[in-house]
Amino acid sequence: MIDVQLMGLLNATLQAATLLFIAALGELITEKSGILNLGVEGMISVGAVSGFITAINTESLFLAVIVGVLSASAFSSIHAFVTVVLKQDQTVSGLILTILGLSLSSLIGKPYVGKKLEVKLTSLIDIAEPSNIFQVLLNQNLIFYIAILLMIFTAYILKKTMFGRRIEAIGEDLKSADSMGLKIAKTQFIATCVGGAFAGLSGVYLTLSYVPYWTDGMTSGRGWIALALVIFGGWKPYRTAFGALLFGFLEALGPRLQTYGFEMSPYIVKITPYIITILVLVFLTIIKNGNTGAPKNIGIPFFRENR
Amino acid sequence: MNKYILSKKLYRNELATFYSFLIGFLIALAVGSLILFIQEKNPFDVFSLMLKLSIGSVNSLSNSLNKAIPLILAGLGISIINSVKLWNIGAEGQIFMGAIALNFVYINTSINNSQIYILLLLVSGFLGGAFCILFPAITKVLFGVNEIITTLLTNYIVFGLTIYLINGAWKDPASLNFPAAAYVNESVYLPTVLGKLSSGFLICILFTLIAYYIKDKSVFGYEMRIAGGSELTAIYAGISAKQKAFFAMLIGGGFAGLAGAIELLSQTHRVSTGISQGFGYTAIIVAAITGMRPIGIFLVGCLFGALTIGGSVIQTIGVSSYIAEIIQATTLFGALIAQFFFSYEILKKDEND
Repeated sequence: MIDVQLMGLLNATLQAATLLFIAALGELITEKSGILNLGVEGMISVGAVSGFITAINTESLFLAVIVGVLSASAFSSIHAFVTVVLKQDQTVSGLILTILGLSLSSLIGKPYVGKKLEVKLTSLIDIAEPSNIFQVLLNQNLIFYIAILLMIFTAYILKKTMFGRRIEAIGEDLKSADSMGLKIAKTQFIATCVGGAFAGLSGVYLTLSYVPYWTDGMTSGRGWIALALVIFGGWKPYRTAFGALLFGFLEALGPRLQTYGFEMSPYIVKITPYIITILVLVFLTIIKNGNTGAPKNIGIPFFRENR
Repeated sequence: MNKYILSKKLYRNELATFYSFLIGFLIALAVGSLILFIQEKNPFDVFSLMLKLSIGSVNSLSNSLNKAIPLILAGLGISIINSVKLWNIGAEGQIFMGAIALNFVYINTSINNSQIYILLLLVSGFLGGAFCILFPAITKVLFGVNEIITTLLTNYIVFGLTIYLINGAWKDPASLNFPAAAYVNESVYLPTVLGKLSSGFLICILFTLIAYYIKDKSVFGYEMRIAGGSELTAIYAGISAKQKAFFAMLIGGGFAGLAGAIELLSQTHRVSTGISQGFGYTAIIVAAITGMRPIGIFLVGCLFGALTIGGSVIQTIGVSSYIAEIIQATTLFGALIAQFFFSYEILKKDEND
């Protein structure tokens, strides 16, 4: 019995972690290129609502995932345009992207509030009560495995390929990157849109699997936790994944505390992930002495002076 | 290779921010019209109705200005904190915290003179907002923890705390299924000055002037700008950048907390989830769009207050109130695009170069 409970906790951990991780990984890629995008929350929301609407209307999960990913990516291109092409303040643009994304998805999602999804992303092999870790891992849906592939793929691209090195060069040293003749604007634009696509996938996971319905504000700060995760992971994919598991565990643990004999108000349980995120962030910044390993050019627009 | 190069303009038009705002607003209206058009509504009808119901009469105008109060105060707070180049995304939480602190003081004290009592309650609201940003401020100045994320996450914590309180210790049994704290006594309501316009608006004008003074006229404001501008200059000038950042954050948080207190004493009259409807987030737009200028924040705050009221009344004809939010956010995006053309010019490259 305890085993089943424990496996249930593990299962919930993996699900919560997947959601956070995909968005964080996307933001990691964007930030590696020197662009800070604070619009993660808005992009997740746009991906979530457009995926959900597509799933309701077409009953095709494949199409829903594609639409969710593409619309969030297209949405993030607003940020790319304003910050990369027009060189405006990245903090302002990202914040407004979040506000716009949330209100826009509330607007288009309004007729779909409370609607039931006929199709749902199900696990590859459905095991009602998994009793060991292996079964829990098999019990996940496709996006979970895609997330693992994306992690390996991203780590490989960033570290081992020319394209990844270019992104890093741009994020670390704009002048040298420019002298090398790298296409800075193009790379940053692509990195931002890739980040948006990842956030969209995370959003699709939210509405097609994690909580299969749509309601206003359902992203409930996960985009911001994903941003904290990037810092936690020190801009490294595998460490970010570890962080996602930790944060996912905390999110999954909250509602289960009572079954383990802790008496806690459900309202307080709800806010624990945010408190812990802050505490972890503070702790991490202290032990790293403020040097979190952020790309050096983050937030600085590229502008080649007149010559 | 490239035929054209980008060049920074040597002189920037002094009114660039203002023109950018106007252009942004026009772009936003166009986007709003497009959305309405897609939803098969006549944009002209909707906008004229919004205009009529938000500024068409004394009553609707005072409603609009009442809505502007939290936007302006929170926006001013954000702008003060931005003097040291820091961001406060936690105004929403600080507004709630202001209301919570007010209610806490209200429950535990009793003063017969209602004017002094109101003053005390407003001060406790201010302190509540400052308290709310205390932890992000301490961790920022001592350890350099990213204040954007800490202030933002504080919003969720304070909102959770509000729900916890109004469902538990503070729940008014008379409120039945709608969780809310008990109403405060009518004697501490903020009086109205004109129509439904709350005297909170006068406080708002006063604080706009205070913010203007702090930011642009006082020694503290000057030191804040230096501290935010360059670390080295601050050191040479003997200015403690950390100290300035710390106090700027507390004052800014206090402004938002005051907004929550005024909202409680003039609108909701009790702690509920309705204390703020995203005012803290809209205030970010208001502050950013004006280039963090207090007088600008006051004016744009009034306009956005009217937009918010207009957005809520058009629901009666089946138009979503989110149109107003979308227009507000798009205005800033439009303004950012316009800013580009005020700061940069595209020059044709000389062939001999």
